Amino acid sequence: MKNKKWLAILTIAISGLLLLSACSSTSKKSEEKTASKQEKDTFTYAISSDPSSLNPINVSDRWGLTVANMIYSPLVRVNADGSTTNELAESVEPAKDGLSVTVKLRSDIKWSDGEPLTADDVVFTYEQKVKKENGNADSLWVGDKPIRFEKVDTHTVKFILPSVSSAALNNIATETYIIPKHIFKDVKDFSVSELDPDPVGTGPYKLTKYKRGEYLSFEANDSYYGGKANIKKVVLQIVENTDTTKVALKKGEIDASYVLPSDISELKDSDITTYAYSENRVGYMGLNANSTKLKDQKVRQAIFYAINKDDLNKAAYLSTKYYDNAYSILPPNNPYATEDVEKYKTNTKKAKQLLQEAGVSDLKINLAFTASDDAQSLQATLIQQQLQKVGITVELAGGDGTAIYTELQKADSTKYDLFLGGYIMGNDPDLYSALFKSTGSANYFHYQSEKTDQLFDQGAQELDDAKRKEIYADLQKQIADDAIFYPIVDNKKILAVRNTIGNVKKAGLVPIYTFEDLSKLTIK
Amino acid sequence: MTTSKYIGKRILQVIPLLLIISFIVFFMIHLAPYDVIDSITTPNMSKETVALMKAKYGLDQPFIIQYGKWLLNILHGDFGYSVVSQHSISNELATRIPNTIKLILPSYFTALVLAIVLGLFAGANKGKRIDRWIDGICSIGISMPTFWFAMLVIYILGYYLNIFPIIGMHTIGSENSFRDFLRHFFMPYFVLTVAFFPDLTRYVRSSTLSQLSEDYVLVQKSFGASKREIFTHHISRNVLLPIITQIGLALPMLVTGAIITESIFGWPGIGPFFLSATKSLDYPIIMAILLLSATLVILGNLLSDVLYAIVDPRIRKEGSR
Repeated sequence: MKNKKWLAILTIAISGLLLLSACSSTSKKSEEKTASKQEKDTFTYAISSDPSSLNPINVSDRWGLTVANMIYSPLVRVNADGSTTNELAESVEPAKDGLSVTVKLRSDIKWSDGEPLTADDVVFTYEQKVKKENGNADSLWVGDKPIRFEKVDTHTVKFILPSVSSAALNNIATETYIIPKHIFKDVKDFSVSELDPDPVGTGPYKLTKYKRGEYLSFEANDSYYGGKANIKKVVLQIVENTDTTKVALKKGEIDASYVLPSDISELKDSDITTYAYSENRVGYMGLNANSTKLKDQKVRQAIFYAINKDDLNKAAYLSTKYYDNAYSILPPNNPYATEDVEKYKTNTKKAKQLLQEAGVSDLKINLAFTASDDAQSLQATLIQQQLQKVGITVELAGGDGTAIYTELQKADSTKYDLFLGGYIMGNDPDLYSALFKSTGSANYFHYQSEKTDQLFDQGAQELDDAKRKEIYADLQKQIADDAIFYPIVDNKKILAVRNTIGNVKKAGLVPIYTFEDLSKLTIK
Repeated sequence: MTTSKYIGKRILQVIPLLLIISFIVFFMIHLAPYDVIDSITTPNMSKETVALMKAKYGLDQPFIIQYGKWLLNILHGDFGYSVVSQHSISNELATRIPNTIKLILPSYFTALVLAIVLGLFAGANKGKRIDRWIDGICSIGISMPTFWFAMLVIYILGYYLNIFPIIGMHTIGSENSFRDFLRHFFMPYFVLTVAFFPDLTRYVRSSTLSQLSEDYVLVQKSFGASKREIFTHHISRNVLLPIITQIGLALPMLVTGAIITESIFGWPGIGPFFLSATKSLDYPIIMAILLLSATLVILGNLLSDVLYAIVDPRIRKEGSR
């Protein structure tokens, strides 16, 4: 009798479960119809976290910039190969003396609320950005003096430099997203992460709703100067877990996401196309010049000769489709990059010989890397094996990336001898001075070289492009000879997109922002 | 009355405890080799900008002053703002905690009912095949990592059979549809129920077994009571008593009970919020959530003591004697 009761409970439970799934699957059918209707006009892109700022004045993280690039537009855009495209600007003319730039705006551009774009908006934007307290002013200062902005007429703005700076001249019109003065003129504090009145922009999309931790939804901006977007709605869906993202992508709950090279084989047979493109990143192994064990240049060179770059990259990024070997501080696609530097082709004999010349035996050093980064962890173990072959013992010191770099930034840090890292700095070679100049804010290497400092100064002030290229070629050679920085890779970013989405290449795959112009995408 | 005095005394004891906990946690965050500003700076920010940002959040001040400032704000009922996103933490918690509760409460309740039924059943049939089966299922459940089981459920129910949507709490655009909510709700609910019930089942089973060996059972048996009568009238009541303690202790789970499951399903609860804050050492968020869950732990203990006294007259009488 007791067993019967048990059986009854079990039956009820199971039938309840079946009912639930049945009801949900019927509801699914009806909803699928509506869903497929919706899918036709919505592009869903998975992002891994909330954007840390939606304010174009201070935004600096990947997803924040992605959003800024959808809502707003810069004066001029830098393409992946270093060339530029005018967006809001009609023309950009640097003065011959190198002390000012005159930007003429297109006169046909309207904000998404119908107001015309004027020079006032541009001056307003730059005047907010140049304030140090807003946290994003560095590119608008030359030395310790700010750049000034002047409205010439309704559609012309003049940027006035305090002293000659080729770097500022080339970069002033790029990477700053123009905000409307008539909307934000009453905002007191521009260091916040969300500006108060709802954003009005000149970009292809308008933000319609932001649910923190869930999604951001956008609608096409009818007055976009590049032509109305093909896809009516875009959703940036926040999914933290990469495994969930993969399944959702295969299923079609999301249409696009970044994936790792190791994920590609898994996605191959489904309705997904992967696109690999360079983000102009340089992945590297750095040497800490503070370390007493690495004081001798011969020891440093011996380490470089012992490493096999091809093996490292094949192991971490699987196929040359997904990476390029890097040989200089500049990424291979950079217009100033040169391969005419000491490449340290793998040569264990030479490495051993150099160690002998330096009188070093039984060298024991450590190697710091970000433990949660699979590529770095793999490369660290390989470097350990490769250096073992020439008699150098490497102790692996995996840890938290931020903690490692905070430690390395301390002026007298000697905790780590070698470390793995990577950076995306941009196109102008002067931007790299932050890493390699003695006083650079991100000089993790504690690299001090008068010659390099001088070359950076010369390069920043040189107005003739051909001469500038020469200076930076010398600079790259110098750093390679000093053997403080071992470039490993320009690994490509891989975007997986469902086949229902078309024109991916036309929308332009660019570093950080993913799509240069989302309005060009199409949907089936 | 003595009970209210007792409760009042216990609540007063909470205050120094929270002070100590908050101090220790704050100190440990301070010991970390970097701070929240380090986690959001990029190589192209100048040292000056970074210093400016640190000064803005008082991170350049000595530890004790930072703690004092934070404490002062808390005493004003102000959780402060996230350093990374600059959003009000109170607002964020007010939208996220209900989402977490919506998930945890039904799962925990289901797990509890399941555990009581299975536990009593297993206890009554000790050593028989059904007992071994239940015990085996519980062992599997306990040793199975939640994230792995969650991925399995996502793959089978969400992708292969394509019954349920995978991400989030709602389909965008149908936020008010309850049916849509249920479809999103089912998989994380199922995973959490499976995560919660094995422990509880074992608990119920073992307390059933200990009740079975009590003298009153023997007495009832000798009076000729059937096994069923003994179970429904006597054992089940005594088994339910310690369960009340369990419910009190489960109170903090309402905030931090589903951190991993939530981030796997993209459920907009406390989990993903807490995880990303911990990663970037966004200390005002970490402090707010820890304070909240510490308070709930203490209150939960208190609640279970009080409930126990209310339910079990024996304890009440001994207390007033």
